[in-house]
Amino acid sequence: MLVDAKLIERAREGDDAAFNQIVLAYRRRVLGAIARLIGRREDVEDVGQQVFLRLYLSLDQLRTPDVFEPWLYRLTVNAAYDYLRKQRRRGELRMADLSEQAVQMADAAASGLKRREEVEKDRTREYVQSLLAAVSEADRALLVLKEVEGLSLKELEQIYHVNENALKVRLFRARQRVLKALASQRGAAASGARE
Amino acid sequence: MWNDELHNDSAEELERELDRLFAAYREACEAPEPSPSFMPRLWEKIEARRSVSYSFARLSRALITAAAAICLLLVVLQTTSRTTPVFYTQSYVEALAEASAADAASSFEISLYEVGGGDHYQ
Repeated sequence: MLVDAKLIERAREGDDAAFNQIVLAYRRRVLGAIARLIGRREDVEDVGQQVFLRLYLSLDQLRTPDVFEPWLYRLTVNAAYDYLRKQRRRGELRMADLSEQAVQMADAAASGLKRREEVEKDRTREYVQSLLAAVSEADRALLVLKEVEGLSLKELEQIYHVNENALKVRLFRARQRVLKALASQRGAAASGARE
Repeated sequence: MWNDELHNDSAEELERELDRLFAAYREACEAPEPSPSFMPRLWEKIEARRSVSYSFARLSRALITAAAAICLLLVVLQTTSRTTPVFYTQSYVEALAEASAADAASSFEISLYEVGGGDHYQ
């Protein structure tokens, strides 16, 4: 844990200074997880603030400081999940939804402004985002926590309150769907190259 | 069999490719540096939510107080109306007894009249 249990206890009892210290300790980790969960840099801070606001309002419901980190992860996942659902409802035009030509044009424009490495990172983000679009928001969050964040099944069990076997099944199915999307994208790229 | 091996190879290759992509994605999505306005904006949101909760709590308290006052008023009215009854002061039996006593008295008067005034007609 990045903070000690006493600080969490104080924050639970309504000590704003203690809560402030907790936010300062965890904000980078939370923002990083959100960045990987939602994949949109410009909205990361807003979602992060939503997480800490929810933490502030629900801290008194925390049974013991030992489960603070899974609790915070759960709030992070829920906030990211709500964000992704809203985005889907809005039907916002995203880079991943653009045609190949539009992506190339955007990349070309971006490469003039950014370094090559940055362009490559952007492309990776967009590509993985487009693959993750093959699964539901909930499965996407689960897959990112496991495969990208590197959380163990035990940690996921604490976050989701679901047994390990159920998690394994869900993860396997989600991964299979993403693999299928990857195979079809590779197939489409290969046939595009042949033409 | 050759096809199966080819299929397995390509499946394994896809798995490896996906793992590589996830690793690259992690690199590409490094934690952004929080902006200087992160904490002030967070506290603004907390304060805004607190004031909404505070107003709601005040409104709830006011409504509870008003409801209690109305209940009290109703109880007082009920009690007052019981101590000064407007309508029935007697029970049905009492009223019946009183009425039959009055009837008996009037029939006695009639019989006296008949006894006294019988000669008049004769």
